Amino acid sequence: MSSESRSRIMAKVRGASRGQGAAAIESELAGMGVAPTAPLPHEDTCIAFMANVLRNHGTLDIAGNRSEAVKLIGQYIYQHFRSHRLVAGNDPHLAAMPWRDGGVLPRFGEVEPGEPVALSYAQWGVAETGATVFLTGKSNPSRNNLLPERHLVLLDVNNLLPDLESLWRQIEPTIEAGSRPRGIQCIAGPSSTADIEAQLVHGAHGPRGWHIILTGGATHEQLQTARAIVACDDTLGGS
Amino acid sequence: MELQSQHFREKAADALADSAAVAQRDKIAQFTPIIRDAAMQEFGSFEALRKHIKRIRQHSLDNLDYYLARFELEATNNGNQVHYADTPDEMNSIVLDICQQHGAHRVAKGKSMVTEETALNDYLQRGGLEVVETDLGEYIIQQAGETPSHIVAPALHKSKQEIRELFLEKHALGERALETTEDLVDEARSVLRETFLKADVGIIGSNALIAENGYSMLVTNEGNGDLCANLPSVLIICTTLDRILPRGEDATAMQRLLARSTTGQAQTSYTSFYSGPRREGELDGPLETHIVLLDNQRTDILASDYKEMLQCIRCGTCLNHCPVFAATGGHSYGWVYSGPMGSILTPLLTSLETSEALPNACTSCGRCGEVCPADIPLPDLLRDLRHEQYQQKMTAPRWRVGLKLHAWLAVRPSLYQFLTAMLTTVLHRLGRKKGSFSQLPFAAGWTSVRDFPAPQSGTFMQQYKARTKADE
Ligand code: SF4
Repeated sequence: MSSESRSRIMAKVRGASRGQGAAAIESELAGMGVAPTAPLPHEDTCIAFMANVLRNHGTLDIAGNRSEAVKLIGQYIYQHFRSHRLVAGNDPHLAAMPWRDGGVLPRFGEVEPGEPVALSYAQWGVAETGATVFLTGKSNPSRNNLLPERHLVLLDVNNLLPDLESLWRQIEPTIEAGSRPRGIQCIAGPSSTADIEAQLVHGAHGPRGWHIILTGGATHEQLQTARAIVACDDTLGGS
Repeated sequence: MELQSQHFREKAADALADSAAVAQRDKIAQFTPIIRDAAMQEFGSFEALRKHIKRIRQHSLDNLDYYLARFELEATNNGNQVHYADTPDEMNSIVLDICQQHGAHRVAKGKSMVTEETALNDYLQRGGLEVVETDLGEYIIQQAGETPSHIVAPALHKSKQEIRELFLEKHALGERALETTEDLVDEARSVLRETFLKADVGIIGSNALIAENGYSMLVTNEGNGDLCANLPSVLIICTTLDRILPRGEDATAMQRLLARSTTGQAQTSYTSFYSGPRREGELDGPLETHIVLLDNQRTDILASDYKEMLQCIRCGTCLNHCPVFAATGGHSYGWVYSGPMGSILTPLLTSLETSEALPNACTSCGRCGEVCPADIPLPDLLRDLRHEQYQQKMTAPRWRVGLKLHAWLAVRPSLYQFLTAMLTTVLHRLGRKKGSFSQLPFAAGWTSVRDFPAPQSGTFMQQYKARTKADE
């Protein structure tokens, strides 16, 4: 049934298409140029990223080194859950963290129902939208990004990209080499809904909190500037 | 979903009589354009983005044979099974077959207008499956036994109080207050969490299918679609041919338009790209993935003068800006799609005869065409449908006579000006005292709901001529 339908649909599509060859189609597409991107809220990519994360209702911490990152993670978990436990994917970047420095007890693998917090390693961050990007796979189970109450993200500022086009340029070599990640997840905020009387509520199905710990040289001054940008938005927006 | 568009006029009259619902729709019609305008202004070159996406989508549709074949090849290489469905029934039966092959009992569904179009839920339920909608809005209307009133926000017609009563009735969770919106969201979260964890099959839609790599893009804020796509062992993506775009960057550029137009965001909380089933050694993800491509007249639209309608990105902006939609609400349109896009898509996907009222549910204000991020000339397409109705003699005889008379007069400007001036003078004299008419011959449709204002002085042309003369 489906193969007959396929032939019928393909024939109709062919009939309605221009019938150009692959080379002509690709060159026409290439001639269309690139899409305009959103202006960044600051010329410094890191500040722009931070400002957009805050606009997306995310929270941020700056870690000077890996030991400090672990301490910040420990404080966050303790503050929200009075616990030291956390689930982390099998990413080598996470396995190599000095967990004892923060008194954190990680379990590596996938989140089970009821486990409240998970840590993921973001491959990239996108300044244009304040998104963190994860390639799901062996070391990064997708459910760790979706099931917990709170999602912690470790991101190196050296992996920040200006826009979504740059993101594809990073991913394309992997795709072309044949090792296509099963999922590419761009996460730009906690799970949210406005389906009831258009009121925004966080934690619709996924994490209620989305907290990013930036490593690799981000500074508190940059974070302050990002906060000032968002405060200025709020004043201008009257909220 | 059963087509009820033939009852548009009755349903619209009922909707207008519900003053609380009218007030709620007014509120939404006021704030949604503000959010969109702010996002557009902040972006700056929104018009350039709109034109760029329009070119890309036109190019994709012009070369759909090439891109469809490419997508099928790449998606198959990624491990998906790609199916084609000519009709809604065929899509439903493909999905049911897949579920039965896996001995599935429970299905978790993400928001998909395509499956509303095919009435998939009813079909699967008749096949013995338990189907749960997981988008909060869709879940609410499923529990209430209703249909979506808006393609983006399907339950926006329901008040918090109505949802509270619904949850108290449907969820056997004992005494509880459920006073705030947060309480309601929390309760739905915990009920639906079980659904995700127990589902055998996940069904989602797709915002874009990427030809160059076979990925499917999913855009949500709740994350429910991602849970459907990752937790159950079988994933079925139900979508249509017109979602195909050439490259990954085209899909993300399109989401730039979509998110800003819909919610005013730069990017929604979750924008995901899925290539296929779980790879060896991976801890999670579906073991089997299917993509079902529905035609349901779309290839006919592709070959028709309404082809541009296939560029629609389902953002809901034209609904949010339409005075008829704001007044009558989505349910009046009697099918899945409402507002201007629904008034075009419903006749094209079903029949122009049954949905005869929809292309006429238009004040010709042109707002939809101005705001549509896909730059679809919606007012022109609506007018073309009305023209087709006229040509096919679907228009009522008295309207046909009226239109003929108007056409005859319109090409005789002197006579036109003379007659309108005479009519204006008569109405001005008759209505001078009261300032308006509560009854007028041939205008009962107007005067039955509001008074007709008496003309103040001469016609536009009379005043124009007088002023031009005075300026000389
Ligand atoms: S017709 Fe345009 S405005 Fe309306 S839903 Fe489609 S893309 Fe959005």
